[in-house]
Amino acid sequence: MGYIELNVLNNAESPLAMGIDLGTTNSLAATLKDGRPVVIKPEGGSGSIPSVIHLADDGAVVVGRKALDQATVDPRHTIFSIKRLMGRGLADVGDDLASFPFPIQEDENGLLMIDVHGKEFTPQELSSMILMRVHDVACRVMGGEEIGRAVITVPAYFDDTQRQATRDAARLAGIDVMRIINEPTAASLAYGLDQRSGGNVAVYDLGGGTFDISILSIEEGVFHVQSTNGDTHLGGDDFDRALASLILETVSEQVDGAELGDPALQQAARLAAEKCKVELTQHPEAELHLILPDSGINVRRNVTREEFEALVEPLVARTLDSCRAALSDASLEAGDVDEVVLVGGSTRMPVIRAAVEDFFGRLPHTELNPDEVVALGAAIQAHILAGGSRDLLLMDVTPLSLGLETVGGGVSKIIARNSTIPCQATEGFTTYADNQTGIDFNILQGERELAQDCRSLGKFKLSGIPPMPAGLARVAVRFHVDADGLLTVSAREESTGVKASIEVKPKHGLTDGQVEQMLEDSLVNARADFEAGRNAGLVTELGTMVRASEKTLPDVEAHLDPEQLADIREALAAAKAAIDATERDGKELQGIRDRLEHATMPLAALLMDNVAKTALSGKNLRDV
Amino acid sequence: MTLCPYCEATLETPLACTSCGNVLDLAGDVTPFALFGRNPAWEVDRKELKRALLRLSRHVHPDFHATAEDEVRQRAERASAALNEAYEVLSDDFARADWLVRAQGGPTDAEERQMPEAFLIQVLDWNETLEEARSAAAGSPEANAALELGVQLAAEREARFAALTELLTPLPEAGAATLTDARRELNVVRYIDRTRAELESVRLGAALRDRA
Repeated sequence: MGYIELNVLNNAESPLAMGIDLGTTNSLAATLKDGRPVVIKPEGGSGSIPSVIHLADDGAVVVGRKALDQATVDPRHTIFSIKRLMGRGLADVGDDLASFPFPIQEDENGLLMIDVHGKEFTPQELSSMILMRVHDVACRVMGGEEIGRAVITVPAYFDDTQRQATRDAARLAGIDVMRIINEPTAASLAYGLDQRSGGNVAVYDLGGGTFDISILSIEEGVFHVQSTNGDTHLGGDDFDRALASLILETVSEQVDGAELGDPALQQAARLAAEKCKVELTQHPEAELHLILPDSGINVRRNVTREEFEALVEPLVARTLDSCRAALSDASLEAGDVDEVVLVGGSTRMPVIRAAVEDFFGRLPHTELNPDEVVALGAAIQAHILAGGSRDLLLMDVTPLSLGLETVGGGVSKIIARNSTIPCQATEGFTTYADNQTGIDFNILQGERELAQDCRSLGKFKLSGIPPMPAGLARVAVRFHVDADGLLTVSAREESTGVKASIEVKPKHGLTDGQVEQMLEDSLVNARADFEAGRNAGLVTELGTMVRASEKTLPDVEAHLDPEQLADIREALAAAKAAIDATERDGKELQGIRDRLEHATMPLAALLMDNVAKTALSGKNLRDV
Repeated sequence: MTLCPYCEATLETPLACTSCGNVLDLAGDVTPFALFGRNPAWEVDRKELKRALLRLSRHVHPDFHATAEDEVRQRAERASAALNEAYEVLSDDFARADWLVRAQGGPTDAEERQMPEAFLIQVLDWNETLEEARSAAAGSPEANAALELGVQLAAEREARFAALTELLTPLPEAGAATLTDARRELNVVRYIDRTRAELESVRLGAALRDRA
């Protein structure tokens, strides 16, 4: 039968855009409603979708809660933490490879290829499956309307390659990306909404797989990021891993080495560790319980909070190192920070709260749900970008320095880290040999002094320089970082006007051609799979609605006017026909569902009324 | 003062019209000072400059033009980037002094590499302290000397900028000899900044060693 709550939503002004937090462990969407950001939640759900993908042998794709359920049953087909592979190469992900159930290779451009039983997927494609799922659920909750535009968040410390990869994933999911914004900055928007007083704010964001610290100044509605620092390889996962190693130690006394490497065992240990970690947040002591019936493993071990905190101390210290660096870049002391905000589920751990409070010397804010605050902020930014508000302005920074390789293998920095974006800078270069007609440029990102230690974002060549003595050519290289934090580089020889420019298409990234191709083939299938899944869900829902309506209809029939009754009967008939049909169209199904919901609204209202009356007259509800 | 091509109001900045809200096309080379609607000068009120940045950003930032046609969005991207670039120059003492010296036709850092002579002995001294601190344990006399060096460098840096204030107010005429003196002072500042960065890496290195 109809959900009264949904009716309210249906009548609400339809939102133009949503914000999506694409997380390492969970993802969710939010939008603006009556001037406030709200998480888009299905009836009875949290709105949070596990960033987990299950890929069955027959090609069926399942994302979210159901995929998570498969994790221990079928670990060889279940993918976690795909965000850790975004825009990375094999050399970057060393440790993660071991916990990955599929073989991974690199193509000639350094793009990771995940081999799922003979079919290859890139991290971008897998992420797009999560995005598609989040987007689909959100659109359905919002009444089936297609909301194509979204702001998507990334860790502040993501480099250009990782941002590009995220943007490509969204493109593959058919989402029009309004902006890529930084997670801590988004969180500050959600918090700062009610705080017009201004001042310096530190956002400490420890998520499932990444850590960010951002220092902002808020002044007259402008959120100006002063500096950011972090670690794209440090998060709640690592705390789980530390605990998992404890229990695996105990297990290793019982099984041999080969068995210890079994993905099912690893997965079970990880899940047991996570559960224990969550319990330790509430209790001073918890049990690590690893049970794997197939292998006859059943191991318990008690862990105290002190033991856990000693175990993870090096991880906590690493986050504080980043805090120190961010403060130093903002030319501030810890005492200059007026507010501290905690973001990310991992900040629920008492050890983190205590460390942050101690470091900044003040109690951090925890009013908003740390799992939701990033999506809420993204929704605000989406609203601003849709032209809905000019009250707030975000001025963010680029997290890492950008430059070019010099002749000796050094780095010439052109844009310094923590420069406000959009930003631009031009640097002059010249030829170092007589009659040199071309110059090769290697674009670098990072803070290290040697080119080989920085990330190469791409290479390009300026050719066609007329022959002249060394040092005479005047080549201006221009860097532009746009509001998304993405880089474009162009070069020009001033005396002749010879130009070369590239939109940086980085190593470990997709080319435009690849994106087009993927959009054409594999994802069409994935889309079809999703639709089949969505239709199946709709049919189940229809069944529940039909059964509930038919059960209650006789009780209140007398109170309905004939027109309403006819409506209900017609909608019920259409629903039943749809359930029995063999060919299903998503839009049509959604229409039938909506119509039934609408028709049964008076029924639901009457029933609520009845329940209320009965309750007031003191009767037991079960007697109704 | 130039007028807005759309509404003919007097322009505060060539980037946008603060009256009608149109983002304008930047033609030719505009100085960072001109982007903020002011004349080149050494003295800058940092707080007032920041307020100007925030106010002008509200007119040119791409976020507020996201629904406009492509051409306007591009213009906003460029205007915003130019504004931020200019702010980097104006708000940073080193960058601003460097820009002023070059703009007045003074030597670049490649053309004038000298430091004031009195400084050279001091530099040798500092290098030695730094070298000794590199392998020193926390709390040792060498490490303490390095900490002290940090304080000394900060004071010295301030003194150099006091000297630069003297040299650059009022702004020397184009080609004046004082511009070379200013460049030499800037060379010292750059040396100090490099040494401070070294010091910081030594300090961090020691902290990491302690932890391990």
